[in-house]
Amino acid sequence: MSNYNPIWALAIFFFAVIVLFIFFQPVKGWFWILKKYFKNNEKTIIEDILKQLYHFENSGNKVNMKTLVQVLEYKNSSIVEAVKKMTINHLIYFESDILKLSEKGRDYALRIVRVHRLWERYLADKTGFSKTEWHNRAEMMEHKLNDDQTNMLATRLGNPKYDPHGDPIPTKTGKIAQIKGTELPLLPVNTVGIITHIEDEPQVIYKQILAENIHIGSLIKVIENNTTRIVFHSEGEAFKLAPIVAANLTVAPIEKEVIVEDNIARLSSLKEDETAKIIGISKESRGESRRRLLDLGFVKGAQVSIDLLNPLGEPHAYLIKGTSIALRKNQASKILIKKK
Amino acid sequence: MNQKNIDHIIELSNELRWQIGDDFHDTLTESMYANASNIVKNTVQNDNSKKRFQLDSKIDQIVTSKSFGFPIMFLILGLVLWLTIIGANYPSSLLANLLLDTIYPSLKSLALNIGMPWWLTGFLIDGVYLAVAWVIAVMLPPMAIFFPLFTLLEDFGYLPRVAFNLDALFKKSGAHGKQALTMSMGFGCNAAGVIATRIIDSPRERLIAILTNNFSLCNGRWPTQILIATIFIGALVPKSVSSLVALFAVIGIAVLGMVFMFGVSWALSKTVLKGEVSTFNLELPPYRPPRFWKTLYTSLIDRTLIVLWRAIVFAAPAGAVIWLISNINIGNESLAIWIIQSFDGFGFLLGLNGVILLAYIVAIPANEIVIPTILMLTVMVTGIAGGEGTGVLFELDSITDTAHILKAGGWTLLTAINLMLFSLLHNPCSTTIYTIYKETKSVKWTAFASIMPIIIGFIVTFLVAQFWRLLA
Amino acid sequence: METKLNSTCETCTHFNANGLKKLGIHTHNFDFVVALAGNPNTGKSTVFNALTGLKQHTGNWPGKTVIRAEGGFEYKTRKYKLVDLPGTYSLLSTSEDEEAARNFLLFGKPNVTVIVVDANRLERNLNLVLQILEITDKAVLCLNLMDEAKRNHVSIDVRTLSRNLGIPVVPTSARFNQGIPELIHTISEIANGTLVCKPYRIQNIPQNIEKAIKVLVTEIKKEFPHIPNSRWIAFRLLEGDTHIINALRSGELV
Repeated sequence: MSNYNPIWALAIFFFAVIVLFIFFQPVKGWFWILKKYFKNNEKTIIEDILKQLYHFENSGNKVNMKTLVQVLEYKNSSIVEAVKKMTINHLIYFESDILKLSEKGRDYALRIVRVHRLWERYLADKTGFSKTEWHNRAEMMEHKLNDDQTNMLATRLGNPKYDPHGDPIPTKTGKIAQIKGTELPLLPVNTVGIITHIEDEPQVIYKQILAENIHIGSLIKVIENNTTRIVFHSEGEAFKLAPIVAANLTVAPIEKEVIVEDNIARLSSLKEDETAKIIGISKESRGESRRRLLDLGFVKGAQVSIDLLNPLGEPHAYLIKGTSIALRKNQASKILIKKK
Repeated sequence: MNQKNIDHIIELSNELRWQIGDDFHDTLTESMYANASNIVKNTVQNDNSKKRFQLDSKIDQIVTSKSFGFPIMFLILGLVLWLTIIGANYPSSLLANLLLDTIYPSLKSLALNIGMPWWLTGFLIDGVYLAVAWVIAVMLPPMAIFFPLFTLLEDFGYLPRVAFNLDALFKKSGAHGKQALTMSMGFGCNAAGVIATRIIDSPRERLIAILTNNFSLCNGRWPTQILIATIFIGALVPKSVSSLVALFAVIGIAVLGMVFMFGVSWALSKTVLKGEVSTFNLELPPYRPPRFWKTLYTSLIDRTLIVLWRAIVFAAPAGAVIWLISNINIGNESLAIWIIQSFDGFGFLLGLNGVILLAYIVAIPANEIVIPTILMLTVMVTGIAGGEGTGVLFELDSITDTAHILKAGGWTLLTAINLMLFSLLHNPCSTTIYTIYKETKSVKWTAFASIMPIIIGFIVTFLVAQFWRLLA
Repeated sequence: METKLNSTCETCTHFNANGLKKLGIHTHNFDFVVALAGNPNTGKSTVFNALTGLKQHTGNWPGKTVIRAEGGFEYKTRKYKLVDLPGTYSLLSTSEDEEAARNFLLFGKPNVTVIVVDANRLERNLNLVLQILEITDKAVLCLNLMDEAKRNHVSIDVRTLSRNLGIPVVPTSARFNQGIPELIHTISEIANGTLVCKPYRIQNIPQNIEKAIKVLVTEIKKEFPHIPNSRWIAFRLLEGDTHIINALRSGELV
């Protein structure tokens, strides 16, 4: 036993580690790929086709077999097979070569959309997953939940109206609210409005919007609007977007006279010896963390100042309603203030 | 009561929620605070509450300042640990004297006098009693010093400032600043550290703190580390500096534990725990002069005795098991020898040996009895003189004699280093495992918390052993 | 100093003439249930210990009591069971502590609720007080840490505060056992009904929400005419609290 070669031991060990890594690394691991491959059964494909058709029809586009095959990442033969089955079951029908949803198919599609959006809402409000993960996780979940589970989920979330991107969630009975508002590039300069929807596809543009820190529910004011760029103010910052990116934002203009506070800043920019009044909490802070901030007293109108600076740069402690509360930078940046 | 009407109410509330929109909670909270400030306006005179107390802010300025904040913190933590380790020596040996050198022999002679059969005496006195006595002697004094000191700091209000100072560090690994305190509490006892995670109110960060608390080298493991470091590492250098070098080796292990704590916290927050909800808040309460005697009393009752009781409950059966495996023979050899021989190969691969592995299995209830178990088993395996008999735990007052036995058992410098590593990186003791289950109420996380460190321990000792043998 | 205060209090005639007996954890056959609620760091556990004679550990930490502690005392031959709820900033969120506190106040139906507040931070603490007053109308405000308030030159008009809130207010310094006899007396008065509270209800809620709440309250009152906290239930229903929805369905609220 004692005259073995440690090099061999190490070699076997590292080989095992590499094999395990190849199999089980997140997302790209062979194990997950294989699992996904075997899970892509007919039901998933049918449901994905229905969903695609639903979205295409809603945006007024026509779909034939060719476009369908292009959008979906399945083997051509399985898509053809699925479409055949769906026609037999009267979920879809052909008008010449255009695929159309039947009444029954539309109901089915709405159910899938309902699960997807509810699940995104769940992920946003009740879990700690980052925004960029919501969509993909919901894509998997929408094929898993049955009707009862979906309704239970809806009850638990308090039957929400919109998903975190601002898309309406169809109700049990298939009722669906309308997205209020117009695409941002269509709004004239000086319009004041609330962002009601952020389109999460294509992902490239969505990620760009997320990176800009633009959120649903934020109040904005259009400053500049031309063919090269659109500039607007929101939550104390100026945003410059290309029209193609801005087109993914829907804004509902506010008709009533609203006082748009000028000089709004974020709590994270407060300096020592400065006092400020809280204007509100950015819509980016949601779910449990938003409630916690409110409960701690960070409400509209409250006075706030820095109580203690942190030796490591964060979190600073803020004096609010007579108590010293430490907030991290990313929390403080979600609290909107007006300095005195 | 009419079910239909109730359904109607609920439907109605859903409908109304749709109309009101998402802002309900915000608006309600705002109105409540507006109400509150209205009431206060009429009733509180000379309202100074907007300003914090002068003395409080003075203290805060100092303990969170760039230049003094950290030195003060390390000084206090170092002092607490030093007082615990040094201060526990005397009462520990007193207790050991009483429980092991006085009561134990008289119990034995009593058993002999009343004619108890040898196996019952062995099982009850050599097994159960000895293990329990050992745990009490080693565990009680440091905990009785550490917990009151810690509780005094807590009651004074200093600990939230430590969390405040260190939060940025913990944030980098996805954890909460308050984990600094549960970690420090873990230096006293991991089970108490796990209970202390209740102060973390964010679910994700609390789980991280629970799962990584075991990487704090607890009271039960300090003596093992110090003993082995003194025998094997201190011996490498001239006598004048040997105790200093040994001390640094132990501190090195403790620091390595913190490195693992940060690393594992980071990995957990990025993988399995990323879906858990994370909210941060940290209130810095006003300082309040602690009430010394009351604190002493409550920390003894609430922390020390509860943890000690749990440890005793688990140690008693362990003592029985240790005695049984040494005294039940299969063929010509005792059960213990059979197990040790079958573990020897794997143990060698990890730079350890079968005795150590078996000792760690039977000593799951308490790390305190690892060294006595190792000594007893080593004597049994090698057949050298020493010890009190098969299945009877013992420890030697003389470090040279201990070194002699261990070296006879085939220990080298590698064995010593890997034992120190393995003592840091192995499953939590059963008291802690039980506490983790009580706190998380989840079999999954309890299993994870138990298995994860031991896998890390296997990998680390394995790698160290291979590279050592390659380079030596 | 403290021990002296302690013992003088325990032996003083006023205290014992009223027949106080601290029962520690022996709370069998109690006549009344008293809940102890409050923000973290208001000395709530100290009040608990002062009332029961227990020595539960009270760290200077927000949110220390996670496990519900129970104790008891006897006053004028009536036995009171005291339940120490976890310290929370609010009752509106979904954290474990808040749910525990909320559910006990709503479903445990304590005979009296003692709301412990920090006299130095009254405004911040009132947020929770107002929420509790929506749930129960048998409450007493324990204005704790008066010693610190005095040091900070904060003076509170207790009578006006009591009139505004519609519940009795007792100033205390639980650490030094000051005000505890008065608190016990007030608790007993509320418990046996000699003192009736008319608690403050949250006002000036924005129009659209107030309207929705009114609609719901009318409906709830139609179904449960004797429910004291229909407004709070309306709040919860508008938040979509599944607990409340289930409780409505099962009739647990009545």
